[in-house]
Amino acid sequence: MKKIIGNSVSTGVAIGKAKIINKHELYIKDKKILKSEIKFEFSRFKKNVKFVIYELDKLIQNYTYSKENRDILESHKMILQDPEFNKRISILILEDQNCLEQAINTYFTEAIDIFSNVNNKYLSHKVNDFEDVAYRLLSHIKGERKDVFVDVDENSILIMENISPSFVTTVFDKNIQGLCTERGSRNSHSSIIARSMNLPMLVNTMGLLGNIKDGEDLIIDGNDGYVIISPTKSVLEKYKAIYKVEQNIQRGLLKLIDIESITKDGKKISLMSNIEIPQEIDQVLKYNSAGIGLFRTEFLFIDRDDLPTEEEQYEIYKNIAEQCIPNPITIRTIDVGGDKLSNILNITYEQNPNLGCRGIRISLQNVPIFKQQIKAIVRANVHGNIKIMFPMISGVNELLKVKEIIKICSKELINTGIAFNADMELGAMIEIPSAVITSDSIAEECDFLSIGTNDLIQYTLAVDRDNQSISDYYKPTHPSVIRSIKLTVDNAHKKGKKVAVCGEMASEKKYVKLLLALGVDELSVSPGRLLIIKKEIIDCDIAEMRAKLDKILSCKTSKEINKLI
Amino acid sequence: MIRKTIKIVNKLGMHARPATMIVKAATKYRSEFRIVKSDMEINGKSIMGVMTLAAEFGSELELVADGVDEKFLIQEIVEMFLNKFGEE
Repeated sequence: MKKIIGNSVSTGVAIGKAKIINKHELYIKDKKILKSEIKFEFSRFKKNVKFVIYELDKLIQNYTYSKENRDILESHKMILQDPEFNKRISILILEDQNCLEQAINTYFTEAIDIFSNVNNKYLSHKVNDFEDVAYRLLSHIKGERKDVFVDVDENSILIMENISPSFVTTVFDKNIQGLCTERGSRNSHSSIIARSMNLPMLVNTMGLLGNIKDGEDLIIDGNDGYVIISPTKSVLEKYKAIYKVEQNIQRGLLKLIDIESITKDGKKISLMSNIEIPQEIDQVLKYNSAGIGLFRTEFLFIDRDDLPTEEEQYEIYKNIAEQCIPNPITIRTIDVGGDKLSNILNITYEQNPNLGCRGIRISLQNVPIFKQQIKAIVRANVHGNIKIMFPMISGVNELLKVKEIIKICSKELINTGIAFNADMELGAMIEIPSAVITSDSIAEECDFLSIGTNDLIQYTLAVDRDNQSISDYYKPTHPSVIRSIKLTVDNAHKKGKKVAVCGEMASEKKYVKLLLALGVDELSVSPGRLLIIKKEIIDCDIAEMRAKLDKILSCKTSKEINKLI
Repeated sequence: MIRKTIKIVNKLGMHARPATMIVKAATKYRSEFRIVKSDMEINGKSIMGVMTLAAEFGSELELVADGVDEKFLIQEIVEMFLNKFGEE
């Protein structure tokens, strides 16, 4: 029995047999050919390249979601159509008498080598594209393209070096048990999708591939973040028991899909979803969410060399809004620190990025980019029910500026004659203490408030949640945080406005009752947590918790509060 | 044959997107097209070639076209450079 630590992407236990999907296996084959075979080998080259280009064309046609994906596939096509590629392969086959596989391998190894050494940060990530194309071509030549999943069944746990988002969707359809990758991060697009599908997955399991054989018994413990290879009988029995319990809970939860989220004492709570990328919409619809409470738009801006156009954004917002009809979607304008955008914006070095130019501040400093996003949103609003929300609001000032910009956008759109609908609810994120304190004024200037608990805790307690050495200071139930939520809700309700919570606190079972007792009207959680939180709402008697509220609000420490909830 | 020297004026330099634009445009023409950067010369219709130039902001390139439609090819490519590949 061996245990390897990784980072858990989604909770839950998976038990199955290891199935290794190894890209690099395809590369190893060195063979010289005879002179008489040269002609045949070269025709194989032409035929296979032609087919892969045809296949890419089909993929490009069917990619309706993102321009980014389409661009990547277009660039893959270009790599195959490159005249120098053709020339080099013909030399390798005709003169050096390499077999086709070896010729291709040589070419791409050279190319990848060049790009790994290129001193230009916009190009170094091109290595992935060359790796992908080489893989696509070689696996087609070897006829393995369709056979990659031949041995994959309901019992499989896939082991890979890394995984692409489209691959996750494909394997999910195969009903596999789980997924481990040696590289990757918790926040990659692949991980986000796996999480929203509740598929047990670990990333960053260093050394896994070297320690495992195909078909070996395997357990993923997504709750504690490790894999167990060839577990002993007693360990296996222990996990089977956990698995059974989890399955029963899951089955119970699935029954809640069509049940309304109403508390025991009859208050209807709107339970919405947070999404980070458009692909998560499938899960939102599957779990019958009351809409999207937080549609993050950062994915459109980070990890790329250029800015998304208004048109590209419009298509994506429209697509999501249409799919959610009649439910609303709340789009949050870009919310990143400047550091993440340094390759597309002119960003000056900041000594303290968390207190620097981020969230709405970035938008107000780069008005042309902000206007593109606003225009895309109001145009998409013609096709659905969209609300818009702004991050890092510190007071009324930013809201007034934003409203002015929306007006300008509307005027410009009228002049161009493009259809739009700027009549939509505006919301402010409450995540800075100054916004909590002035939430009465803010509520007057907008239609709803949404509390982002992660940042609110971070800024209220002045603690960086990613800093291990001070993680003890990060306390969601610190009296200051609970009182801040109370103050915000009371101020908003006085003005007749609703309050949502879209931070991680809403996704944690143990805080649901407290948030509802504080008067929160809406919870927004990641799709994978929807049913768990719905169960919590249905089981909640708000009045019961509210009876304890005075006591909770007068607590001196978070420890005291935790005891009461 | 036409030769034309040009400076890279878009801030990000010759990254993946401009490279793709150049190759796409050049491929439409029948003329041969090469790009020279100091001691390096590459095929301007090859995505691999254009990207390996890794030309940064401010660096100088020589565009060389040779063939029946060389004039139009150079014209279109030069325009792209001057428009900073639509970046700003």
